[in-house]
Amino acid sequence: MVAFSNGYLVDNLTEALKIRSEFEVTPYAGGTDLMVEAKDDAVYLFLNKIPELRRIYSDDEYIRIGAACTYTEIFENTLTPQILKDSIDYLAAPAIRNMGTAGGNICNASPKADTALIFYVADAKLRICSASGERILPIEDFYVGRGKTVLQRDELLVEILVPKFGLEHYYYKKVGARQALAISRVAFAGLFSTENGIITRFAMAFGSVADTILRFRDLEALFVGKTMTEAKSLRDDLIAKYDQAIVPIRGRVSADYRKSVCMNLLEDFLNQNGI
Amino acid sequence: MQSISKSIPKRDHFPKISGRAKYVDDLQIEGLLHGKILRSSVACAEINEILIPDLPNGYFVIDKNDVPGVNSVHVVDDDTPVFSDGTVNYVGEAILMVAGRDLKVVNQILKQIKVIYHEKQPVLDMMKSDTIFYQYGYTKGDWESAFRDADKIIEEDFQTGYQEHVYMEVQGMIGSYENGKAIIRGTMQCPYYVHTAVKRAMGFESDKVQVIQEEMGGAFGGKEDYPSILGCQVAVAAYKTGKPVKVILDRNEDITCSPKRHPAKMHYRAAIKNGEVTGIDADVVYDCGAFTTLSPVVLQRGLICATGVYDFKNLRVRGKAVKTNTVPNGAFRGFGGPQTFFSIEMFMDHLAKEIGLDSVRLKERMVVKQGDDSATSGKYHFHVPFPAMIEKLDQISGFRKKRETFRHQTGRYRSGIGISLVYHGCGFTGSGERDLIKGVVKVVKNTDDTVELLTAGTDMGQGLKTVFAKIASDTLGIPLEQVIVQNPDTDRVPNSGPTAASRSLMVVGKLLQRAAEKLKQDWKPGEYQEVVEKYVHPDFMIPWDLSKFQGDPYPDYSWSANAVEVKVDTLTATTEIVGAWGVYDVGTPIDMAIIIGQMQGGFLQGIGYGSMELLGVNEKGVIRNNSFSDYIIPTSMDVPNLVTEVVENTYDNGPFGGKGAGELPAVGGAPAFVEAMENALGVNLHHTPFSQEDAMKVLEALKK
Repeated sequence: MVAFSNGYLVDNLTEALKIRSEFEVTPYAGGTDLMVEAKDDAVYLFLNKIPELRRIYSDDEYIRIGAACTYTEIFENTLTPQILKDSIDYLAAPAIRNMGTAGGNICNASPKADTALIFYVADAKLRICSASGERILPIEDFYVGRGKTVLQRDELLVEILVPKFGLEHYYYKKVGARQALAISRVAFAGLFSTENGIITRFAMAFGSVADTILRFRDLEALFVGKTMTEAKSLRDDLIAKYDQAIVPIRGRVSADYRKSVCMNLLEDFLNQNGI
Repeated sequence: MQSISKSIPKRDHFPKISGRAKYVDDLQIEGLLHGKILRSSVACAEINEILIPDLPNGYFVIDKNDVPGVNSVHVVDDDTPVFSDGTVNYVGEAILMVAGRDLKVVNQILKQIKVIYHEKQPVLDMMKSDTIFYQYGYTKGDWESAFRDADKIIEEDFQTGYQEHVYMEVQGMIGSYENGKAIIRGTMQCPYYVHTAVKRAMGFESDKVQVIQEEMGGAFGGKEDYPSILGCQVAVAAYKTGKPVKVILDRNEDITCSPKRHPAKMHYRAAIKNGEVTGIDADVVYDCGAFTTLSPVVLQRGLICATGVYDFKNLRVRGKAVKTNTVPNGAFRGFGGPQTFFSIEMFMDHLAKEIGLDSVRLKERMVVKQGDDSATSGKYHFHVPFPAMIEKLDQISGFRKKRETFRHQTGRYRSGIGISLVYHGCGFTGSGERDLIKGVVKVVKNTDDTVELLTAGTDMGQGLKTVFAKIASDTLGIPLEQVIVQNPDTDRVPNSGPTAASRSLMVVGKLLQRAAEKLKQDWKPGEYQEVVEKYVHPDFMIPWDLSKFQGDPYPDYSWSANAVEVKVDTLTATTEIVGAWGVYDVGTPIDMAIIIGQMQGGFLQGIGYGSMELLGVNEKGVIRNNSFSDYIIPTSMDVPNLVTEVVENTYDNGPFGGKGAGELPAVGGAPAFVEAMENALGVNLHHTPFSQEDAMKVLEALKK
């Protein structure tokens, strides 16, 4: 461990968790969000030299992405699913992608987070560790609101567990104010799979429209297990239900604009999948 | 291509690209104090009381009572105070300065100061303002008959928004006071403007004020008037504290309180008879913000440009510049031209539709040519190369064919292509060069036969040092390395005028060429020599009369033809710029790479102005998006490779045939972009910036 005037640099997870449990520290991975409004009195726990947080590997079920992996590292890894690569391709600009991390994107808890949207739609899980143990929870349970998560003050996000299967057939669109270095105004990700004419996977996530990323599992359930014909007959009903469920907040753009884009993309997602 | 056009590395290229260049914030000065300005948080109020905490030793508060001369900054008029005179007129107005050794402590003190305001209702809507700062108007031909006899009269309203300069280097200045002399150094376009302003505020004689320009990281007009304000503030602070005082604005502060492009509202009428536009009537309002700064001249240029590049026989143009309780607007590349040019270009598109022509056909038919009277009853004295430029534009962009192809589209993506034809009048508006500036340059030959060019011209990145050196080197027939051009210091350089109005190359460059010619004739190796050259007004010009608003406002014009192609995604209303092409006449390019760089940068800035650069003021008069995450400018990913070409049309009164270039490219981008959106969406549009949200509104309305 090296102690700096503004924090601690450690090279293994055990030590990091020990410091996390003993001191009031701000976890610092890439710093691309933290440095925008750096606080003079902050004490940081620098995470970028911890091997356990820098790995990308897979097991039977999951691609496991270390929380301190940079966007560039994730983008360049052959295990990374294409939908995640697409989101990174539209994220900020190369300099930020070289420093910023997926863990930071999640823990910053912005509904605009580009990669968090993909983790949402993909049913990713988060592996969270503390000195006294670990827990794994679905990403949707991690968020409490804008900028708020259930991460305890002695915990660190260690890995993101992305399901290996069912991500091939996807739809992704980010709408920003420009082509690069853009905060998303609306982001949409959808997954769709069928087996023997039966819909096995139907998931949609909406970013930048509310305090957290939105998913409506009860509405998705209307399609799962249905035949294509059944889904087609339910299409108008589903659209009407989403139209009711999505209530965007106004921010840099109006709620009306966000709503129009969400509904247009949702319909296009259905169209593309023959519904 | 003439030999002088051949590109060489810009003189500021290696220092800036390597990070070695020293900007004002990089200067190390013994005993330096940091100053930070307390700014008004309300748009309109009287200040009842200012509660200041006890100050630690070595920390100072500087306000209006510390101004030794007049508490007023001279720009064109004198209404801008150095520090608030007891009222505040916009959010961001300077009330006082806190200065001391440690910037953190300065900031803490600033937070502890309480200002008790007696608030008044601010005027934020320019159309509701009852304070008219300036007002002009002119007519040509018999506009009344044209409207009386018209088959049809078309009326439309247009609106253009703010634009922020987004120079990379923020505003910053250091003032010192030594032996009865105020020394100001910093980032500025016009050292002698600062000199005049500081002299007045300090009540000093000319020789007791010295102004030095430091390396500059961009300006775009944004450092024409504001450095005079900041210069006076640091001069007063240095005078009070006896120490050098540095003030560097942070980005949010810079966006909040530095000048912007004037928002404008414009009402246009046209008389149509027998399928011809027989008369035009423009009524223009520019929003000055709270103080006058450069607004009279900005409005003048806007009105001169109000009828565009077309030969209208009968016209009336009226305009006023009004006060609102918002940040004072000032100079921005194009200087009043982009607002009215946007309106007339869009209006011509709409008139063409009325007449049943493609807009380019109408524009081609009406475009001015050499010998025509100008709108202000002056003359286009020189060749206007529009026919060749439009042909070239078609060759590189294929716009004629595309216009046809893009009619009646369906499907998710809609394409459009828009065309604009614009000019920028070269040099100071009206009789300014002759009556106000009276530029002087000095060329010094040292005993080692190096030659130094002494002018007040500043290099903000536009390449002035490089082109000045090329002009001298080519004229004298000596190597470039033998020519010295330094940042101006008013103790050393004569007043060759401000670096503004696309005048420096054409006017000051010409003076340097003449001086160099004289030096060459009289060249005495190994001897010290000086040549001083003074401005001579071109004798062909029809004298400008501001009271009538008539005559030649400029000796010559730079011209451009622009095309922008877009592809709109109807699901998201996002717009991809598929292509952007510009053809320019800037006389002889004195350095081709510099000219192409200027054309591309300006074009991009113009497209940003037309599409995404939205700056919003809320109901309390606060600019709500004063950061880079919220004030959106285009990146290199947002435009394709811009295709920019020049046609050579030498201007004999400029050095080697060169004329104004810097501002021209920023004028035509917005109308070309918005016309492309019209072409894609199939509707008439009337404002900048035309944003994603605006496009979505149109698409949603079309659905219904």
